Amino acid sequence: MWLIALKDLRIFVKDRAALFFFIIFPFMFILLFYFLNLGAATDERLTYYLVTSEAEGGLSHQIINLMETKNESQLKPGEPVFVVESNFDEAYQKVKDGQLSGFIAFPADFTERMTTGSGAQLEVVVDAGAGYDRAALNGIAAAIASQVGAEQIVIKASVSLLVEGGIIPPDEESINQATRQILAEITAEQSQTGGEPSFIGFDIERVGDIESGNPADYVIPGYLVMFVFFAAAVTAEAIVRERQNNTLERLLASSVNKSTILGGVYTGTAVRGLIQILIFWVAGILFFKVDLGQSPLAVIILSILMVIMSSAFAVMLATLVRTQRSAGSLARVTALILAPLGGCWWPLFILPEWLQTVAKISPHAWANTGFNKLMLFGADLGAVVPEMLALVVFTVIFGAIAIWRFRTSAV
Amino acid sequence: MAEDFLVATDLHKSFHDFKAVNGVSFSIAKGEIFGLLGPNGAGKTTTIRMLSTVLEADSGEIIIGGHSVRKKAESVRALIGVCPQELALYEDLSAMENLIFFGRMDGLNTRDARAQAEEYLKLMGLQDRAKGRVAKFSGGMKRRINLAIALMGNPQLVFMDEPTVGIDPQSRNRIYETIEGLQSKGMTILYTTHYMEEADRLCDRIAIMDGGKIIAMDTPRALKAQLGDSEKATLEDVFLNLTGRSLRD
Repeated sequence: MWLIALKDLRIFVKDRAALFFFIIFPFMFILLFYFLNLGAATDERLTYYLVTSEAEGGLSHQIINLMETKNESQLKPGEPVFVVESNFDEAYQKVKDGQLSGFIAFPADFTERMTTGSGAQLEVVVDAGAGYDRAALNGIAAAIASQVGAEQIVIKASVSLLVEGGIIPPDEESINQATRQILAEITAEQSQTGGEPSFIGFDIERVGDIESGNPADYVIPGYLVMFVFFAAAVTAEAIVRERQNNTLERLLASSVNKSTILGGVYTGTAVRGLIQILIFWVAGILFFKVDLGQSPLAVIILSILMVIMSSAFAVMLATLVRTQRSAGSLARVTALILAPLGGCWWPLFILPEWLQTVAKISPHAWANTGFNKLMLFGADLGAVVPEMLALVVFTVIFGAIAIWRFRTSAV
Repeated sequence: MAEDFLVATDLHKSFHDFKAVNGVSFSIAKGEIFGLLGPNGAGKTTTIRMLSTVLEADSGEIIIGGHSVRKKAESVRALIGVCPQELALYEDLSAMENLIFFGRMDGLNTRDARAQAEEYLKLMGLQDRAKGRVAKFSGGMKRRINLAIALMGNPQLVFMDEPTVGIDPQSRNRIYETIEGLQSKGMTILYTTHYMEEADRLCDRIAIMDGGKIIAMDTPRALKAQLGDSEKATLEDVFLNLTGRSLRD
C-alpha cells in the first residue's frame, strides 16, 4: 500500500505544474484575499448596547452593570465597548438607522423567570447586514445563557438541600426568596471582588478579535478547506488516468489485491493533502501570524479530518466516472460549488440562516464552522466535536461508496 | 511430453448480450510458446484478461501451475506476468523506477527489484536510458519497457498481448530474441499477434479464435498442411481461409 502511495507522491513531485497548482496557487489566492481583508479591517472599536426592560434592582441590571465598560482606556486591543441603555426602542431605532450594529436585550421578567426556573429568553437585535456582529452578539448571549443556566442548577441544588434539611419551608414563596437571595449574593460578591463574572469575560475577549483580528485567521482556513478538497478531487482525474493507461489493470494482475491498491491510492492522496495542510499552517503561522486559537490540537485534528474526508471523496469520484475528462470536470464543478456554499470564500455566519442550513450538506461548511469556532470564537476541542463527527460521517459515506464501486466495477 | 502449465476449460464470458468468449478450451505445456490468433473482436484479449485474473469468467475453469484462478487468484498472480496490448507504464517515472515499482508489486525486495530491473533493461537494450523519463521514449522503447515489466519477478508464465504492435523492425527483432531466450530458460508464454509471420516464427502451437470460439488449434506446420502444401502455404493463408476476408472493425 505504501509503495503505491510513494509512487503517486513521486509522480506528484515530478509534476511541476501540479506542485504549482497545489501549493503556490492557493497562496496567491490567500495573499490576495488577505490584503483585501486587511484593507477592509478597521481599527475603530466596536460598541454594543446592553438593554434591559426590567425594573431597577433586577438581576439583569446587576449583570449589565458588571459588563458595562467603565474605562475605555483600560480595554485591550480589539475588545468592544459595552454601553448600558435602558430604552429598548431607542436602541432599536439606532440599529435601524445604522448608528449601532446591535444589542442584547434582557426581558422585563428576567429575574422572575430565573428565580422560578422557567427560563428567560435573551433577545439579540442586530443589523441584517452585520454578520460579524450577529455572530459576536449571539456568542455573548449564548455564553450568558449558558453560565446563568449553570449557576441556576447550582442554586436549585442548594435550595433543595436547604428544604430537605428543614432550614427553609418547602413552600413556593420561601423557595423563590431563597433563590433570589443566593443569586443576589453571588452577583454582589462578583461586584465586590471587582472580578468579571466568568460568563462575560470569556466571550467579550474573543468577540473583539473578530473585527480587529488578523484576516488570515479566517482567510487561511477557508482556502485551506477549499484547496485541500479541490486538490484531492482533481486527484480523481489521476486515478482515472491510471485506469485508462492500463497501469491499474497491470497492478491487478500483480501480487497485490484490490483492497491494497485502493488503500495505496487513498493513502497517496491523503499524504499529499497532509503535506498541503502542513505547508498551509506553517506558512500561515510564520508569514501571516495566524492564531490557531485556544486549542491548536483541535485545529490540527480538524485539518487532518478534512484531508481524510477529501481523499475519500476523490477515490469515490474516480470510481463513479468513466473518463478522465468527466472526472476532471466533475471534480472542478463540485469543488467550486461547495467552496462558496461551505463558507470558504466568506464566513458562513454572515450568511442568512436558511443558507447556513443548506450549507450543511457540504463537508466544507462543517470544516469551516469548526475552524471559525476554534480560531475566531476561541472554542476548545469539545466545542468542535460535532463538526469533527460530521467530517467522519462524510468520510464513511464517501469511503463506503468508493469501496463498493471499486470492488464491483470492471477495471 | 511436458506437463500442462495452463489448462483452460470451457470458458465463457459475456458483456451484456454480447458473448465475447464462448466455450474456449485449451492447454499450454510448460516451456511452450502458445499463439492465440484471431481478427479484431475474436475474444483474445478477454481470454487473456480472464487467464491473468483481472476478469472473472462467467463459467469454466482455469488452472495455472496447479492453482485455480477462481479459488487461488493470489497464488496464480505470483506465477504470471502480463504484457498488455496497450502500454501500461507510468510515463512520468523513469524506466528504472517503473521496473522497480512493478517488481516490488510482485513481491520483490528493493535490492532484488533493482537487480532484475538492471538485468531486463540490459536485455532490452535500454541500460543507457534507465534514468530517462518514459514519456520521452520512442514507441519501440516503450514497448520494450512494457515487456520488461512483465518479466519482473521472473514469472513462470507470461501473457504477451500483441507486444510488437507499431514498432520498428529493430525493436521487434529485439523482442523476438528476448522471447526465444526466455523460452530456452523454460518460461511458458501465451502470445497474441496480428503478424502471422511472427506467430509462425515464435509459436510452438497456435489457436485461431473467431466469434469467441477456437476454430483451429495445432502447430503452425500442421495448420498450413491443412491447405495442402505446408511449405508453400503461409499462416496468413490459413488464417484468412478460416476467418474469412470480410473486414472486422
